[in-house]
Amino acid sequence: MKEQLNEDFSPLNISEHDIIEAMKRIQGYIDITPGDFKEVYQAAYALAIKRLFNTLTAGSIMSKPVISVNREIALVQAAALLAEKQVSGAPVIDHEGKLVGIVSEKDFLQEMGFGATPSFMQIATHCLNNKSCMIGRLHNRTVGDIMTSPPITGTSEMTIGTISALFADRQINRLPIIDDDGRPIGIVTRTDLAHSFNMIGREHKS
Amino acid sequence: MNYFQKMRGGGQSPPKVGPAEVLWSWIGSFLGLAAVSLLHFNILDQTGLMMIIGSFGASAVLIYGAIRSPLAQPRNLLGGHILSAIIGVTAFQLLGGQPWLAAAMAVSTSIALMHLTKTLHPPGGATALIAVIGGESVHNLGYLYVVIPTALGAGVMLIVALLINNIPKGRKYPEFWF
Repeated sequence: MKEQLNEDFSPLNISEHDIIEAMKRIQGYIDITPGDFKEVYQAAYALAIKRLFNTLTAGSIMSKPVISVNREIALVQAAALLAEKQVSGAPVIDHEGKLVGIVSEKDFLQEMGFGATPSFMQIATHCLNNKSCMIGRLHNRTVGDIMTSPPITGTSEMTIGTISALFADRQINRLPIIDDDGRPIGIVTRTDLAHSFNMIGREHKS
Repeated sequence: MNYFQKMRGGGQSPPKVGPAEVLWSWIGSFLGLAAVSLLHFNILDQTGLMMIIGSFGASAVLIYGAIRSPLAQPRNLLGGHILSAIIGVTAFQLLGGQPWLAAAMAVSTSIALMHLTKTLHPPGGATALIAVIGGESVHNLGYLYVVIPTALGAGVMLIVALLINNIPKGRKYPEFWF
């Protein structure tokens, strides 16, 4: 993720020719060489990106309201909910509404006996060879049984710079954002993060 | 990039300015130098004072020909000339017996001081040098050299720059005052 970031947001590679053309459009002798201007521009661009990374926070980019599942409910029910809402994972809460874990496709797959990140083809092959398809294992289990716990959480003040570093370091795809009482108030997914980077790009252009 | 590779340059020169810029540079510098020269030759010459020094020709390049340059702004024009004049006179008075040393010291110290005070103005180096090599007429002025011709002349040139550089639509002076 981090490397990808650097690639996407390396300062726009303007050429000295672009700078000379731009200088021609501005009346008056501009007392800087195109090379120096480029250097200033690239350094300033990097600083602007850094500033935006440190000003955009989880609170402004997170998806809300967050779809949470109760730890007591059956896996089948949870699966139905995730399918209906078209999300691949959700925070898990206890009866007080406090976050206790996070459940995602990965947890389901792991419970079914696949590795953490099987491809669809692996699953298909497996199911075609074994009629049972191992889906049966999911019956009679609750969300609490398979969730990842304790979850990695964030607060709404967390900057997107910190969040993207966290995604990369901890190899996670979603970060529940909790309030002071430990209740989920939103969730930042990789998609949210991608949107926020896009926002930065747009702000720069305008 | 090693020491010798650096000497190859490799960068590009900024583009040539348009004809309007050339014309306004000409008008501004003509009127600026006309103003100080008139004062010099018609009023002060008889009194043993002077109004014009060589470095004003260099200032004209900046404040009429490169008006966007940080080096051409009022802070730099006035600060650079006045500080350098003080350094120049001081260098001559302390080290005048060794003119080569006084000259080198005047210019190098005024550059350092202009950097430190954010008043870098290339003609300031000439102002400092003239205080040392300007001959009897300059030496006799002592620290008056700082006020007349330096501060007064730069001030007159500044007024002309303000009046002329703001006439065309696409020109604006200064970028900042201090």
